[in-house]
Amino acid sequence: MIDLNERFIEKRSFFNRLLLIYFFFGALFLFLLFKTYSLQVSSYSDYELAALKNKTKEVLVQPVRGVIYDRNGNILVNNVPTYDLIIQPSKIKNLDDFIINISKIIELSDSEIENINKNFKRRATYNRELTIKKDLSKEEIAKFEVRSYQFKNAFIDVRYSRENKYPYLFSHALGYVGGVSNDKVLSILKNQDLKQSETTFKYSGGFIAGKTGLENIYDSALRGSFGKKLFEVDATGRLLKELSFEKPINGKSLFTHLDLNSQKKAFEQMNNRRGAVVALELKSGSIVTYLSTPSFNVNGLSNGMSSVEFEKLINDVDKPFFDRAGQGRYSPASTIKPAIALFGIKEKIVDWNFTLKDPGFFVLPEDQRIYRGWKKGGHGTIDMKGAIIESSNTFFFSLAYKADINNLISHLSEFGFGRNVCKDCFNPDSGLLPTPEWKMNNLNFGWFKGDTVNLGVGQGYMSATPVQLAYYSAFLAKKGNLQELSFVESDSISNTAFINNLSIDNSDWDQIHSSMIGVIEDPRGTAKRLKPLKSYVVAAKSGTVELVSTETKEDYKLVRQNIGNRDHAIIVAFGPMPDPEYAVSVVIENGESGGSVAGPVAIAVLNELINK
Amino acid sequence: MKKKLDFKNFSIYFDQYLFIAITLLSVMGLFFLYSASQEDISTVAKQAIFVGFGLLLMFVVSQPDPDFYNTFSGLFLIFSLVLIFLTMIFGKEINGAKRWLDLGFFTLQSSEIIKISLPIFLSSYLYNKPLPISTRHTFITLILIGFIFALVARQPDLGTSLVVFMSGGYVLFLAGLSWRFIGSAIALFLLSLPFLWNNFLEPFQQQRVLTYLNPDADPYGTAWNITQSKIAIGSGGINGKGYQEGSQAHLDFLPETETDFIFAVIAEEFGFIGVCILLSVFFFILLRCLYLAFNARDRFCRLTIGGLSLVFASTLFINLAMVIGVVPVVGMPLPFISKGGSSLLSFYIAFGIIISMATHKKLMQR
Repeated sequence: MIDLNERFIEKRSFFNRLLLIYFFFGALFLFLLFKTYSLQVSSYSDYELAALKNKTKEVLVQPVRGVIYDRNGNILVNNVPTYDLIIQPSKIKNLDDFIINISKIIELSDSEIENINKNFKRRATYNRELTIKKDLSKEEIAKFEVRSYQFKNAFIDVRYSRENKYPYLFSHALGYVGGVSNDKVLSILKNQDLKQSETTFKYSGGFIAGKTGLENIYDSALRGSFGKKLFEVDATGRLLKELSFEKPINGKSLFTHLDLNSQKKAFEQMNNRRGAVVALELKSGSIVTYLSTPSFNVNGLSNGMSSVEFEKLINDVDKPFFDRAGQGRYSPASTIKPAIALFGIKEKIVDWNFTLKDPGFFVLPEDQRIYRGWKKGGHGTIDMKGAIIESSNTFFFSLAYKADINNLISHLSEFGFGRNVCKDCFNPDSGLLPTPEWKMNNLNFGWFKGDTVNLGVGQGYMSATPVQLAYYSAFLAKKGNLQELSFVESDSISNTAFINNLSIDNSDWDQIHSSMIGVIEDPRGTAKRLKPLKSYVVAAKSGTVELVSTETKEDYKLVRQNIGNRDHAIIVAFGPMPDPEYAVSVVIENGESGGSVAGPVAIAVLNELINK
Repeated sequence: MKKKLDFKNFSIYFDQYLFIAITLLSVMGLFFLYSASQEDISTVAKQAIFVGFGLLLMFVVSQPDPDFYNTFSGLFLIFSLVLIFLTMIFGKEINGAKRWLDLGFFTLQSSEIIKISLPIFLSSYLYNKPLPISTRHTFITLILIGFIFALVARQPDLGTSLVVFMSGGYVLFLAGLSWRFIGSAIALFLLSLPFLWNNFLEPFQQQRVLTYLNPDADPYGTAWNITQSKIAIGSGGINGKGYQEGSQAHLDFLPETETDFIFAVIAEEFGFIGVCILLSVFFFILLRCLYLAFNARDRFCRLTIGGLSLVFASTLFINLAMVIGVVPVVGMPLPFISKGGSSLLSFYIAFGIIISMATHKKLMQR
């Protein structure tokens, strides 16, 4: 028991202590109120955004790639629809019943049923679609459509595959599409200000992009823009409802200058021999034929092929994947002679009246080394026109001997050698226009006079691709008035005349043309066998690329027993003369004779292009 | 204001301020719960039964004279302890915690009872002890508090055990614990923190504390709850998103919307204005308790009202601080609002006893 005084003290003590705690709680109360205020008022916008980000999910929608056409409106590459049966697992209550019912209409294989059972639950949880059967037949589609009222949660949807209608013809020119690396996906999406997220694919191949050829070069235009659907999601990521849909913009069609018929003709003529054909339409400087053979089925690469098939292609000794037209390096050989002749005229080393006695070889004064021509005993006394028609090596050896190497190189560069001449070729090779610096850096040797002499007949270190040879051919045909080549007419209008740095008189160009006409039309011409193959006049220059240097014909007979050592056959041609419309280059590896092996292919392609 | 209605020999003890405020909170709670439970009418109906029963219980409990509670406080405590022991033996295990006793019709969380019976018992034990409380009584009290704290903490239930500890501590403090003792106890506590950390906290409890200290370490782990709760509260803004419009709550980003995190749902849907209205009701109840404690008839009543109202205040503030992200996540309901049987009923009982303590007057004061 406590007395009254003590009771009073106790009461005061109690009040003080209770108030102390209350003050503490009061402070805590204000603090919590302040914290709530700072969350809800001061940082409102941050948290509002966070809540919005939480509850929405962006699903990208893939656009359909553009169609690729040839110059006559023929479809070359198209999107081929396949029809897939798709279900909405979240709305199907009894899966077993569903499978039994749907199986009455559309047969499902064991592996398809296994696939359904494996993925059903997950897709249902997250409210995603599930493809239960791919590539329905017309009959299956019809059967399903008639009874679709029984299956409200199943539907047929289109998935595309990319299909080249001429899978062997345009393998290198158009290239193929395929799956891409994650980095590439990110960069493609970044261009569109999108982040990588779940995507509704239009292609069974998923995220595809052009890997080679025009599919690659014009990938972004062909691809189009991704659309996006905004969904409301819950914390587990389940899609609840569609909030908005920004439709994808499908890719633009690509209208190329390629010509289906000439391509077909070239393919047929090449008959799987190793080589390349490139033909150009001169007015626009566009590529109408672009063929590298042997070819491969490009659709197999776009839409999946077995690893065995792929290994076979990779290990094929003929290297079908290799784009010989744009990347194959060949010595231009005698086809270079018209350019050398123009150099001689320009530099006033020779004129059209200059003659030279050709004994069949050229002796280099410095070291008495002998450079042989192709004809034993030589061509006799010959002028430059004759030297082109008959392809006299001696004439051009001695012309080149008098040339300044640096001037000659810059001259040849004008004709497209040693540089890229194509605006939209895939991975074009620039060939090689050797310079003294190049030789020193790469071979550790100084430039010999003999190197210049070899350049005079397009042998030695110099090399060019069939695309460059075609450019060269067109350059000659258009008398130097030629821009960069292209498969597709560019958007920017640049019809201004191309001005080259050569100052060559029109009469000299005419002389070159008439000399090259002589190659076919003249009885002495190296390609005179081509004369009856056409009904119009064609200018040409053939070439034979020596792979192994031999002294005599007998030596060569030994060498040619190994097919891989046989000479390459080359020809450049343009016509119809005197107003050429097309230029062409043909290379046939180990074909031996430019005139009689490569020539007929070139003429056949020109016939196809001109005789319409 | 206290009322004593005479019906001949029959009196009714009743405090209309507390009654109205608590009824208001309970009804608001049902309203919030409907949204927080994703419009689950059966959850709300069940809660409504608890609320109705609880209000009745509060009324019934407020009728006996404080002397009744004083006399039987030891019995209540023993009864509560028996329930805790029964829970230890027969308890239902949920998520690794054994806190619940299945009574068939009702799942009882026994620790909720002891947080009421302990302060009443201590009030009864200490009300006639001279000031300051002697060392002997202090230690007897502390041993009892520590023992019960350890029992509840073992379940394990960190949140409730802390409240139990506080409930005893408040009474001891209010009864006149010497300041010298308080000072040395605080020093001792700080020194023994590492020991307590290692021996008394379960790994998941330790994880919660660590997460609180460094929430960025695992955005989708234990900190997920705090992060989502803050987003819910923050995105509510001043006016809120509207009833049943809270995306955080309705799209399952927010955990435990019906129980511990219901405040986040309210803040999201009713904004800062709603929060202020709700908190002012709580604040009113606390102020009313302060008034009643000051005007209680004797020391026992004072101590009981003080102890019980501070248990209520502690539960409230720990819950708010947790949901706002100021303290680590501990299981703690928002009184009268969160879904739950035992904790809800325990507060009705607590306020029933507070009203009893406040309304019964002795004509002749000691």
